[in-house]
Amino acid sequence: MKMETYEIYSLTSVVLFAIGLGGVFLAKHFLRKIIATIIMGGGVFLCFVSFAKRDAITFADPIPHALVITGIVVAVTAAAFALSLARRIHKLTGEDTFEAKK
Amino acid sequence: MDILIDSLLAILTIYLAFRCMLAPKLSKAVFVFFAFGLMLALAWIRLGAVDVAIAEAAIASGFIGVLMLDSLRDFSLIFSKNQERLEETASKIPVKKDSYHWTTGLALGLGLILFLLISIQAIWEVPQGGGLTAIAEANLPMSGVEHPVTAVLLNYRAYDTWLEIGVILMGLLAIFAAGGLKQYRKPGLAPAQDPLLRKTILIFTPVLFLFGAFLLYYGKMGPGGAFQAAVLWGAIGILLHLGGWPVFTFIPRRMRQILVTIGLGFFLILGFTQMATGGAFFEYPPAYAGFLILVVETLAAISIAAALTAIFAFLTK
Repeated sequence: MKMETYEIYSLTSVVLFAIGLGGVFLAKHFLRKIIATIIMGGGVFLCFVSFAKRDAITFADPIPHALVITGIVVAVTAAAFALSLARRIHKLTGEDTFEAKK
Repeated sequence: MDILIDSLLAILTIYLAFRCMLAPKLSKAVFVFFAFGLMLALAWIRLGAVDVAIAEAAIASGFIGVLMLDSLRDFSLIFSKNQERLEETASKIPVKKDSYHWTTGLALGLGLILFLLISIQAIWEVPQGGGLTAIAEANLPMSGVEHPVTAVLLNYRAYDTWLEIGVILMGLLAIFAAGGLKQYRKPGLAPAQDPLLRKTILIFTPVLFLFGAFLLYYGKMGPGGAFQAAVLWGAIGILLHLGGWPVFTFIPRRMRQILVTIGLGFFLILGFTQMATGGAFFEYPPAYAGFLILVVETLAAISIAAALTAIFAFLTK
């Protein structure tokens, strides 16, 4: 089966998104959940850029590239904010998961 | 041959993401996350997206990874023998730990597999569109730069980039609101004693500065631009903070505020300039477009670098 480059990466983007999604739900620690969201974001962006490669003429479609750069910055800002919240929760209550420690 | 490289890279990326989620220790998860980010950057280079690769390696892998490494200190685990001793004594006390019931895990697993299958089918059958490459290429001579991604970021979609700078600023304010600023007291100047750290800072500061400036200017004709340069410059600020020279907190408050907002402000003024002569919002005069883009990129890079340093500095309080 002849596979183009972009097809390989679009398939891996789906798998990455699924791994991230599973991680957000199944991981217990705050930090792991945040890492999982970044992996999800990586999957989505990989999908974007792989379809940009598909639509290439002399160069790859630049609009999805710009969208992905913006998306990376926004995702990282949100993750930094989530991290600060998690650290604050840990500082105030000593807990680092959503479950109560008896 | 291409297929072999891409398949191996794809399998490696998935494997690293898997290990990252399944890592037993938190510190291992963070380190594997760094590796995952770099493999993802390689995947983007294979797809011809060098700008995105630099941004991913610097921001989504480097910056957020550094923030998480720093927070490992708070969340305990490894690093010191004291910590291990504490954990040993703690584990001897029986603790009722909540865990998921096996049916929850099974349902989630099945749901994920179903989602995976549906998504793979959807991705496989995405209809051929055509994209916007032709339009981007046609308008490139008029945009003032030679690199298409920079043209999109700073000209065609300058409004989005302006808002993106605003988002970074908003993230900084949100971190202040989450309690970063209130406990802040001006720290004393306490340069680190570690010779390795001092040497690293000594060597890397000028290299990072020069390379950032190069990427900033090179964005006109090749991969580069404001964001990539900004992260390199922000890395200087973070290195200095780690080395005990908290430069960002030593400049006066008004200066800090100006540094962080100047990119956003000038970008906005630029958007309004053509409106006086009847143009649209964020329309550039074609003769000066290249020069204006360079100026905006420089100020935006300074601003974003300051904001990233501030996020690091105030996150750790």
